[in-house]
Amino acid sequence: MHMVAARGRRLASAVALATWVVAGVLGCARDRLDWPARRSGDRHGGVLSLAAAEDVPTLDPAIGYDTTSWFFEEHLFETLVTYDESSTLIPALAERWEISPDRRRYRFVLAAGVVFSDGTPLTASDVVGSLERVLEPRTRSQGAEYFRGIRGAREFVTGTATHVAGLTALDTGTLAIELAEPDPLFLHKLALMFAAVVPAALAQRLGDDFTSQPIGSGPFVLREWRRGERIVLARNPRYRRSDLPYLDGIVEQIGVNQQLAWLMFESGELDVAQIPPADFPAVMRDPARAEQAIHATTLTTAYLGLNCRMPPLDDRRVRQALNYAVNRAEVIALLNGRGIPARGIVPPNLPGYHGDFPGYGFDPTKARALLAEAGHAQGFATELWTQGADTDVKIAQKIQQDLAKIGVDLGIKLVAWSPFLEAIRQPRTVPIFDLGWSADFPDPSNFLDVLFHSSRWDANNHTFYANPTVDRLLDRARTLADEVERVHLYAEAERLIVEDAPAIFLYHPITYVIRHPRVHGYAIHAFLPARLTEVWLDPEP
Amino acid sequence: MGTLLVAAALVGPVLAPFDPAAAVAPQLAEPMPPAAPFYLGTDDLGRDVLSRLLYGARISLLVGVIAMIVTMAIGTAIGLTAGYFGGVTDVLLMRATDVMLAFPGLLLAVALVAVLRPSVWTIFVVIGLVSWTGVARVIRSEVLSLREREYVLAARAMGGRNGRILWRHVLPNALPTIVVIAALSTSGTILLDAGLSFLGIGVPPPTPTWGRMIQEATSYYRVAPWLMLFPGVAVLFAVLSFNFIAYGLAGDGRAPGA
Repeated sequence: MHMVAARGRRLASAVALATWVVAGVLGCARDRLDWPARRSGDRHGGVLSLAAAEDVPTLDPAIGYDTTSWFFEEHLFETLVTYDESSTLIPALAERWEISPDRRRYRFVLAAGVVFSDGTPLTASDVVGSLERVLEPRTRSQGAEYFRGIRGAREFVTGTATHVAGLTALDTGTLAIELAEPDPLFLHKLALMFAAVVPAALAQRLGDDFTSQPIGSGPFVLREWRRGERIVLARNPRYRRSDLPYLDGIVEQIGVNQQLAWLMFESGELDVAQIPPADFPAVMRDPARAEQAIHATTLTTAYLGLNCRMPPLDDRRVRQALNYAVNRAEVIALLNGRGIPARGIVPPNLPGYHGDFPGYGFDPTKARALLAEAGHAQGFATELWTQGADTDVKIAQKIQQDLAKIGVDLGIKLVAWSPFLEAIRQPRTVPIFDLGWSADFPDPSNFLDVLFHSSRWDANNHTFYANPTVDRLLDRARTLADEVERVHLYAEAERLIVEDAPAIFLYHPITYVIRHPRVHGYAIHAFLPARLTEVWLDPEP
Repeated sequence: MGTLLVAAALVGPVLAPFDPAAAVAPQLAEPMPPAAPFYLGTDDLGRDVLSRLLYGARISLLVGVIAMIVTMAIGTAIGLTAGYFGGVTDVLLMRATDVMLAFPGLLLAVALVAVLRPSVWTIFVVIGLVSWTGVARVIRSEVLSLREREYVLAARAMGGRNGRILWRHVLPNALPTIVVIAALSTSGTILLDAGLSFLGIGVPPPTPTWGRMIQEATSYYRVAPWLMLFPGVAVLFAVLSFNFIAYGLAGDGRAPGA
C-alpha cells in the first residue's frame, strides 16, 4: 500500500515511470558512457533516456516503499511471482508452486540455473534469507508487516528464535513456506518488491550499504549512481532469459523538472515524457503527437479525507453534503479530462469495482438541504490541507469554489509532503486533507481494509473512520478463501463506507505518457512502475 | 501613474467585472485569450484575469505600504539611535545590521514564513523584518551630520534630554530623507511580496496577488503568455511608479542612498 499525493509527483507508478522515461538526456549521457555498438536489423541494443526531478530514495528492496525506488528495484531484482500486463499473477523466479489443501503450506520450485549478477547461484536459502532480512527489526523495513503471518515470524522478530520456523529451504531449488493462518493474499505479498530475492549473505554483510551495491538477478545491473545527478542501469548479461532485455542500458538524468523534461522531449533528447497540463490540449489536437501518447487508468483513487472526529465533520450528513457539493466533472475537466469520476473507493479494473454504484452526483440543492438538516444552514468554515504542487493547489481552489456555493468557507493550507504526512496522523489536527491511494496489489482489501478499518487509525486510516459493521465485514473477508464471497463482502463494506462518506471521493486518474516514435513495447501498468525489459528502440539511421 | 495604481486599489473591486475567485469562463483547463467580456483573458481555473489583477492591486499595494511602515519603523529607530549616540551603541547596532545584510533577504523571508503561519499579517512582519537594514544605514548617516548641527548642539548645551532632542530636533530634520526612502522601499516591499507569492508562500490562495498570478502562469508561458504578462506588467508599473515618486521627492531625479 503506498500513499500518493493525489496528483503530485508520487501519483501513480505509471506517472513516475513516465517522468523517468522523460528525463534521460540521450545525447550528453551517451557521449560520456561507453555502450556496445548496435547490431543492425535486431531489436537488441540502444539506450533509453529518462529524466526525473528527484533522486531515487533507495535501491534496497527491503527499504524502498515508493514508486521511484520500485521502478529501479524492479529492473535490478526479481520476486518469486509477479504480474502480467493484466495484473494476473505469473511465475517469475519460482517456476511453479503448490498450495496445500488447508492453504497454509506453500511449496515453490525455483527456476533452474538462476545466478545473481555477480555470478553466484541463487538458491532457496537466499529466498529464506531475503524474507528474514525484511522481518529482522534491525533492517527497519516497512514491508515487515506483510510477512508476519509466516509461522514463527513473531518469535523471530522478538528474538526468541534465530530463524523463522515457517521458512525452509528443502534443497537448493525448493522452498517451503508455512503460514500461521490461511491468507488469500499471500502470493500477492510475495510479488511485492519487499520480497525480492537478494544474495542473503552479501546483503547481511553490507547492511545499510546494500543500496549502493545492489546485487540481484533482474534484467539490469546498476552501472553508475551519482547522487542527485544521474543513475545508469546496464543490461545484465547473466539474466536468466538470455534474449532479454533488448536495451543495452537506461540512463536517467536527475534534477529535471516537468517543464524542462517536456522541452527536452520535444527536442528529441528524451524517449518518454509526461505531458504537462498546459500543453496537453495542444498535444492531443495534433494527430501526429496524439498517436505517440498512450494512456491507462491506474489502480488509484484520489480523495479528500474528512476527519470523522472533528466537528462539524463528525456528522455524517455534513460529510454527505460535501460529497454532493463537488462537481467532479469540472474537477476532471481541470485535469484535461485525465480522470474517471469516483463513485466509491475501489478503482476500476479491480475485482469488486462497481461501475453501477450510484455514488454521489453533483447536487448542490441536496447538499444545502443536508447541511440545513445537520443544523448548518448558514454553512461553516473549515480547512483543506494539501501539499503545494501546482495541480493540487488548482484542484483545491476548484473545491473551494464549489463549497463556497453551499456556504462552506474552505481555507487552503499548503504544507510540504513530510509535515503533511505527520499532521494527518494526529487525531484532531487536519479537518480535510488531499490524498490519493495506489494499489500495491490488485485486491479491494488494499483500499478498504487499509484506509477504513478502525484498527488502522495509527497506520493509514487518517479519516479516523470507525464503523463496527464495516470492521466485522472486513475481518471476515480477510481470511476467506471463496473469491466470490470475499468480493461480495468487500462490496457490502464499500457500500456502507460510501454511505458514511468519510471522504469526498474524487476521481481515478488516467495516466498519459508520450513516447518518441523510435520507442517500442512501452506500456503503462495499472499499478506497477513501467517495465523496460521488453522495450526496444529503432536502430539509428 | 501612482495615482492610477492607488485608484485601482481603491475602486478596483467596484470596477472588476467578475468575482476574482469564481470560475466565470465557459471552459476550464484551457485559458482563454483576451476577448470581450474577458478583456485580459481567463486563467486555467476559468477566472477573469482583469478582475484578479484589480483585486490583486489592493492586496499588493496594501502589503507594500504596511510592510513599508514596518520597515521604516524598525529602520528609523535603529538608524536614529546608532547615528545619534555613536560610540559603542553605533558599533553594536551597525554590526548587527551588517549581520542582517549578510543574509539574502528573500531566503531569510522564506525561512521566517516557514516558521510562522502564512497569513497577510505574517507577510507584513516578515517583509519588515528583512528589509529594514538599508533604511537604518541611510538614516544613521543622515543623523551623523545632523547631530553636529548648531541647533542640536544648542539644545544639548541647554540641557535637553536625548529623547527630546531626537524627537524634536533630529527626527523632524531627517524627515525629508525618511519620506524619500519610504517611497523607495515601498517598491522594494512590493517586489519582495511578489517574490514570496511567486514561491508559493505569500498570502494564501484564493486571494489574488500579482506574484501568485505570475507563479500560476509559469506552466502556461508558452500556450497562454497573457497570464504571465499582465501581472508582470502590473508589478513593473507599481515598482517604477514608487521609484519615480522617490526620485521626485529627492528633487534631483536621483535616489538618495542609491
